[in-house]
Amino acid sequence: MSLLPTPSRISTVDRVPGAVESGTAIRRKIRTTKFFGDYRKRSGAVGQALTWLCGGALALNLLLVILIMGLLAYNGLSYFWQKDLMELTLKDGRRILGELWSEEKSAAETGTRAAAAIDRIRLKIGNRDVGGLDFVWIDAKDIARRSRPADVVMLERLEWGNFYGTMAELRQGGQVLAAGPEAVWKAFGPLHERKLQDLHRIEKLEKGEIGDVNFQIERLRLAEKKLDIEKVSDAERARRKAALEREVAVAQGRYDRLAARLSQMRDRYQAETLVMKTVDGETKEMPVGTVVRAIRPNVMGSLAKLRLYGSRGVEFVAGDPRESNTEGGIFPAIFGTVLMVFLMSFAVAPMGVLAALYLREYAKQGPLVRMVRIAVNNLAGVPSIVFGMFGLAFFVYLVGGTIDRIFYPESLPAPTFGTGGILWAALTLALLTVPVVIVAAEEGLAAVPRIVREGSLALGATKFETIRRVVVPAAAPGILTGMILAMARAAGEVAPLMIVGMVKLAPTLPLDGRPPFLHLERKFMHLGFHIFDVGFQSPNVEATTPLVFATALLLILVVTLMNLVAIMLRNHLRRKYAGSAV
Amino acid sequence: MATSPDSPASSPADSRLRERNRRRETPRKRLVADRAARWVVSAGGIGVIASILGILIFILAEVAPLLFSARVEAGRKVTLPEVGKIEAVLSDDYRTHVATLDEHGVVRVVRMRDGKVVYTSEAMAPTLLAATVPPQTHAFAASTSDGRVLLKSMGFGISFNGQERVVTPDETPPVFLDLDLQKRPLGAFAAQLDGDGNALAAAALADGRLAVARRSIEKNEMTGEATESLGRAELDAPGRITALVIDPAQKNLYAGTAAGDLLWWTLQDGQPGDLHSANAGAPITALTLLLGGRSLAVGQENGALSVWFPVNESGDTVRLARTHEFPRHPDAIRRITPSQRDRGFLAASGGRLGLYFSTADRTLWTGTVPVRDVAALFYTPKADGAYVAGGGEVAEIDIHNPHPEITARSLFGKIWYEGYAAPAWVWQSSGGSDDFEPKLSLTPLLVGTLKGTFYSLLLAIPLGVFGAMYISQFMHPAYKRYVKPMVEIMASLPSVVLGFLAGLWLAPRIERVVPALVLMAIGLPLCILLAGFLWSRLPRGFRGRFPAGTEALLFVFVLAAGAALCLRLSAGFERFAFAGDFKTWLFNATGLGFDQRNAVVVGLAMGFAVIPIIFSIAEDAFSNVPPNLVAGSLALGADRWQTVTRVVLPSASPGIFSAIMIGFGRAVGETMIVLMATGNTPIMDWNPFNGFRTLSANIAVEIPEAPHGGTLYRTLFLAGLLLFIMTFLVNTVAEIVRQRLRERYTQI
Repeated sequence: MSLLPTPSRISTVDRVPGAVESGTAIRRKIRTTKFFGDYRKRSGAVGQALTWLCGGALALNLLLVILIMGLLAYNGLSYFWQKDLMELTLKDGRRILGELWSEEKSAAETGTRAAAAIDRIRLKIGNRDVGGLDFVWIDAKDIARRSRPADVVMLERLEWGNFYGTMAELRQGGQVLAAGPEAVWKAFGPLHERKLQDLHRIEKLEKGEIGDVNFQIERLRLAEKKLDIEKVSDAERARRKAALEREVAVAQGRYDRLAARLSQMRDRYQAETLVMKTVDGETKEMPVGTVVRAIRPNVMGSLAKLRLYGSRGVEFVAGDPRESNTEGGIFPAIFGTVLMVFLMSFAVAPMGVLAALYLREYAKQGPLVRMVRIAVNNLAGVPSIVFGMFGLAFFVYLVGGTIDRIFYPESLPAPTFGTGGILWAALTLALLTVPVVIVAAEEGLAAVPRIVREGSLALGATKFETIRRVVVPAAAPGILTGMILAMARAAGEVAPLMIVGMVKLAPTLPLDGRPPFLHLERKFMHLGFHIFDVGFQSPNVEATTPLVFATALLLILVVTLMNLVAIMLRNHLRRKYAGSAV
Repeated sequence: MATSPDSPASSPADSRLRERNRRRETPRKRLVADRAARWVVSAGGIGVIASILGILIFILAEVAPLLFSARVEAGRKVTLPEVGKIEAVLSDDYRTHVATLDEHGVVRVVRMRDGKVVYTSEAMAPTLLAATVPPQTHAFAASTSDGRVLLKSMGFGISFNGQERVVTPDETPPVFLDLDLQKRPLGAFAAQLDGDGNALAAAALADGRLAVARRSIEKNEMTGEATESLGRAELDAPGRITALVIDPAQKNLYAGTAAGDLLWWTLQDGQPGDLHSANAGAPITALTLLLGGRSLAVGQENGALSVWFPVNESGDTVRLARTHEFPRHPDAIRRITPSQRDRGFLAASGGRLGLYFSTADRTLWTGTVPVRDVAALFYTPKADGAYVAGGGEVAEIDIHNPHPEITARSLFGKIWYEGYAAPAWVWQSSGGSDDFEPKLSLTPLLVGTLKGTFYSLLLAIPLGVFGAMYISQFMHPAYKRYVKPMVEIMASLPSVVLGFLAGLWLAPRIERVVPALVLMAIGLPLCILLAGFLWSRLPRGFRGRFPAGTEALLFVFVLAAGAALCLRLSAGFERFAFAGDFKTWLFNATGLGFDQRNAVVVGLAMGFAVIPIIFSIAEDAFSNVPPNLVAGSLALGADRWQTVTRVVLPSASPGIFSAIMIGFGRAVGETMIVLMATGNTPIMDWNPFNGFRTLSANIAVEIPEAPHGGTLYRTLFLAGLLLFIMTFLVNTVAEIVRQRLRERYTQI
């Protein structure tokens, strides 16, 4: 469970339910029986009190764990739940519509017990394009009436956040298609469906064909630049340049045609507009297609809300972020994290296993190897930010800079590999986690009984054959556990990645349909960094906190799941090999 | 192992024998594979281990250039024969051309590559008495024998002819300012010229008075017409003036006298205003202003060299303070010239030349002057070289001085920075302007690191160690098996999540309930004791039905209830103990401020991250105490608590020590939590309600902005190296202690 590096720290994971009883376990059992048989022996009063305090320390640990997990689970999961919309009529006649966000009690001001009731509430009023502010604080004593009108609508939009109000009209150009809340609500549904399809088509065109053409034009441009610095005769250069220019012209022509088509599609997509009325009577007109979702929370049943909950959950996991990451989904971050962790495992597995094999099987055991072993163990305790610095200096500046100079001189001074990217991030994390793998693998190798090796050797197998066919399979659980622990650590690590390759918003995924398909030099998004960035560097922190909670919950689920799998796998394999190999 | 000799067969019997042996032998292919595998694994394994250990070496290599002092080498030397005495010299940015001004007022531009004079101006004045290049300008200033000061801006236009860089000196006419209306020869003088043509000059007159003359250019924005206005002031000088300098902003005039007094006038539109003075001892022979125009480098008759700058005293008074001191030259300082890049400067006396850095009191290099009778000294614009002229010779000096700011003292000691009232430890790596003085003291960051670590260990050590003691000594294994992984699962929480919770959830709430925290520190243990007491009063038969340790699980609820009660009583307690408002009380009672993101928040969050580490290792240590020791103690009649404190705890103490050490290592290097849960202000104090900045957070904040290979970049690597060494040492000590302990236990 713990991600700690040293052998005994890893071995703390061993003693979980279901572990095979080794000699020490049995000894411990005998010991504990003896030990607790005597437990009832009374201690002195002071001793008793101090024992309780120790118990209190343990209880406090547990309470903290429960609190934090509960806090994350509650806040993370409630993010998708739609609250009712509340309309407040204030004593001065103003009306405010929004979602109840939080209530604050502050007895400190008046000091009487009665004042401990709610005295301020915070509403999310949305409508940033109308009022500018997402939230308002209202004094409870100013409120004259609270109500939950049935026909108020909440719009989730592509831009400007949520809108709360009533539907007034549906227009197409100057022509009114429907008017009045009910009529518009009815007409809106099917129309909105069509517009979403339009939007989908537009996105497909943009990301697909137009993206391809852009990619091609960029490649041709680089080819032209490369031609400039290449050593070829002038005639040859002119000839090739002309060919390139022809290609550019063709691509440009294609681009122009696609762009024309796109603008046509956009016109159609934006043809119908929805006029919304805010609670204080202002109207706002917006294209129907910019609405992500329109709901009437106050008349939704629990089942409908649950469905909405599910669909929001799916959007969160599978959708792209909107509004500079403060809304929408976190798919690119999940994708980036997973891809990076996989790349890292490809690097870390051979490294860790080779080093462990060498240390345990081939190196002459002595004080030097012992020292190396301690040093490797302790590298896992070196702060991750130091690895990040190393990654920046070594991978990005030294290796990446050299690669750029040799292979990509045409795009300089814009760096290709000479800047943070997913490959460098993966390699940096591989270095960071390789001690974990080495320690676990070594432990696994050490646990293979000598009898087994000697049996294999006696049957005529060479040392390598023994290792390959007998030792490594028997040690596989240890190695695999180490790998999973390494992956879990990599998934949660942020500090080094801040330096070597993450960005707020990556326009393209590092894996796509254009050659060479896996773009190792690209920057990527990461769940952990997403938490840091959205939580601390977004302009509207209050509104985004729930989203960060949801992201944090997801990250923790992933990491904890990996840890649990590591433990279970280890136990499973250990049982299996306990029967066969020994 | 088997090898197959390939000798030719001698007899049929031999060959049969060989045939049989060969069948028994391991086939060659497998042996080769075995050999190859040994090579591959060994090479790969050593490679991996070497490369991860190589990280340290690589980081050392990044830091190493900081340790090297400046490298100074004599470069090209050009002799200009048929020329008068050279009075001043300057060069272009790329050091391809050097302009000289000789005593007849002739400017010559020399191409350094071949020593050819590519440009010669007409004589600008009858005879020059002295000339200089004013600080931070690209102009010659000279005093004439007829009471005037001449200023000529020397620009170098650069154009490209194919690949070749062609440098052409520009042809702006010189500016003359009349200092002495009676046209007597001038004494010491100083001048400044800015990009718009505004000029200011000051000079000591023959009668001992001081004259200041000014030319200002008013540009009409609409028509682009420039109107020139002239101004002049004369005043009595308190003593014979031997050196003068004007700052680039033309707002301050500094003078040195033969009596060793430093005089400082503020200038208002060219009119001298307030006078401040300070005594430096020996007569002053050379003055200049370092980059930024605040630090005054002073050279004296007795060879003393020092830097002064205005310091705000209490109240509104300002005085010139001698803030940096450098080793003496054997004879009088003749020329000082500042760098245009940093707070460095060059100083020349008769035969010696020195390169100094003001901020760090650092003497980077001293050596002999490569020309006889030094008359002019120029530090090149990129601070990569210098030109010295004397007689008819111009000598070039190459200076390689990438990191002058860094000394052990500037990293860890107190440094008197410009504008500070006293020496201080400051980290401030960048400022608003190019002439900012970088302040790279690691001390505030080290203190911040230790502060964060201290507050987190304050929480983590008792909770981790005592929790582990309880679970291993007092709790039934049936519980332990579930409870232990539950605490350890905390270790897998990514620190970014903890940081986020601390910064955005906890910090604003803590701010409101500090009194409740105080209350909890007292109240929760009382709750536990009370609950324990009540539990012990329950009938023995009832308690006996539960395994040992049940009460600790009950305590979870007790604590939850107790904490809720404390929160509820918070406001009342605040009125009672802190006069209604904690923050005001804190400020009134102790003068301490309160930040929302403070050390308490970090202590809680980072403590939470460290608890499982300490817990896990300490629990191991407790559990591994040989059972016969415990059994012996109990058999001798000691009770549980006595056994635990007198037998188990002492034997497990090395293990607990290493648990704490490893927890310390983790807290020292933790980045995300401190980054998110403190304000990251590099201040030095131990106030638990202030923020701080740690080494690791500092790296995360600054390294993306640090130019590759620059001083800041390398200093950050040094901070990283410190972290590396600190954690590595601590972990190694902990590991060795633990291994020893394990060996000892196996012997028992």
